[in-house]
Amino acid sequence: MRIVFLIIMIVLSTVVLATLQATTPPYAMLTGPIMTDGRQGETVAATTFSAQIKQVQKAKTLAWDQFGRAVERQSSGTWVIVSAELQAMRETMPVRGATIIGMSGRLYHQSQRAQAAPNVLSAKTVQPGLPTTGIFIFEIPEEETRNMVLVLSRQYGPQLEDELHITLEQNGLVSRGRLEIGKNGP
Amino acid sequence: MLKPISRKTNKALLTKLLAGIGGLLAAAISLGYSLYEKRQAEIIPQVAIATPVDAGRWKVSLNGGVTGGEMPNGSHITPGKQAIAIDMVLENLSVESANSYRHLIKLQNIPDAPMPQFYLMRDKDILWDMQPMMPEVVKAVWQVPADLSLPKELRVMVEGETFKPRDNLYAAPGWFPSGSVAQVALPLAPAPAAEARP
Repeated sequence: MRIVFLIIMIVLSTVVLATLQATTPPYAMLTGPIMTDGRQGETVAATTFSAQIKQVQKAKTLAWDQFGRAVERQSSGTWVIVSAELQAMRETMPVRGATIIGMSGRLYHQSQRAQAAPNVLSAKTVQPGLPTTGIFIFEIPEEETRNMVLVLSRQYGPQLEDELHITLEQNGLVSRGRLEIGKNGP
Repeated sequence: MLKPISRKTNKALLTKLLAGIGGLLAAAISLGYSLYEKRQAEIIPQVAIATPVDAGRWKVSLNGGVTGGEMPNGSHITPGKQAIAIDMVLENLSVESANSYRHLIKLQNIPDAPMPQFYLMRDKDILWDMQPMMPEVVKAVWQVPADLSLPKELRVMVEGETFKPRDNLYAAPGWFPSGSVAQVALPLAPAPAAEARP
């Protein structure tokens, strides 16, 4: 009788401990970002900054002038150019972390190949009270450009910091062969 | 009075014996496993040129080696150095943009090879992030001393990486080195014409 009771207790405690271990949130999740969700067109605001997506465009070729020299960048997929307005709430801050979650759930960071283009937002700093407009440029495969979600943060891999998740509209997605990026954006 | 004592000693003996057998078994399994692992690690498949190699985080096919020539972006080679370049097609198999391809390829028969610089041939510029599912033609360039006599055939090792959903320290997801996955013998050809300029 006592043996049976002992075995039951051991099994029970094993189950309880296993459940506790399996449901413990990992460190990465505990210290992860503080997410705010929203949609394209509306102002999505977190405590430290807010963003409003004006327009999303697709292009096969990007072109701009760099030190008076024409630069062209082709892609095997497509370029996605997101025009946005950013506002800082409390202090001067950059918004360097910009990622598009594609159709398959893969994460596409801003393309470094187009960081020298004019008006790129990750090269700017956002001052409180001064709305800053500009663009984010991504290079992604054509089939990933449906159901895109834009993720913005102060830098990549934010910990206990704000992160905006903005669902991008598919209806307004303009596609072009070649897109010139001027001083004031595309 | 005698009987219980003898039963007790018997039991103690049995316990000790079982513990001993368990210990020996554990040691034997551990030794066998480490021997097996070492044997497995020694067998690195030889792969032909231009064959795609799955290295966990990256898929790479090495298409040939070139000596001499200039850097693909037109910058000059450091005086007293010469360039060894490998042409390849590189693809990011992970779910996120990444630029940690620097440790992917090791030169076996070049002593003290430095870290290579990768160039994106589409732009003829330095390669930064590789986007997932977007293979690109890439050139990796090593700058080695000019007086180093180069072998006819470059022996190259492709290093793998493996994904752990929870690492041992922080229980955070990440990519970790998993040893060599393939070796390739690349013939080294001199670069075409570009150097003939005065």
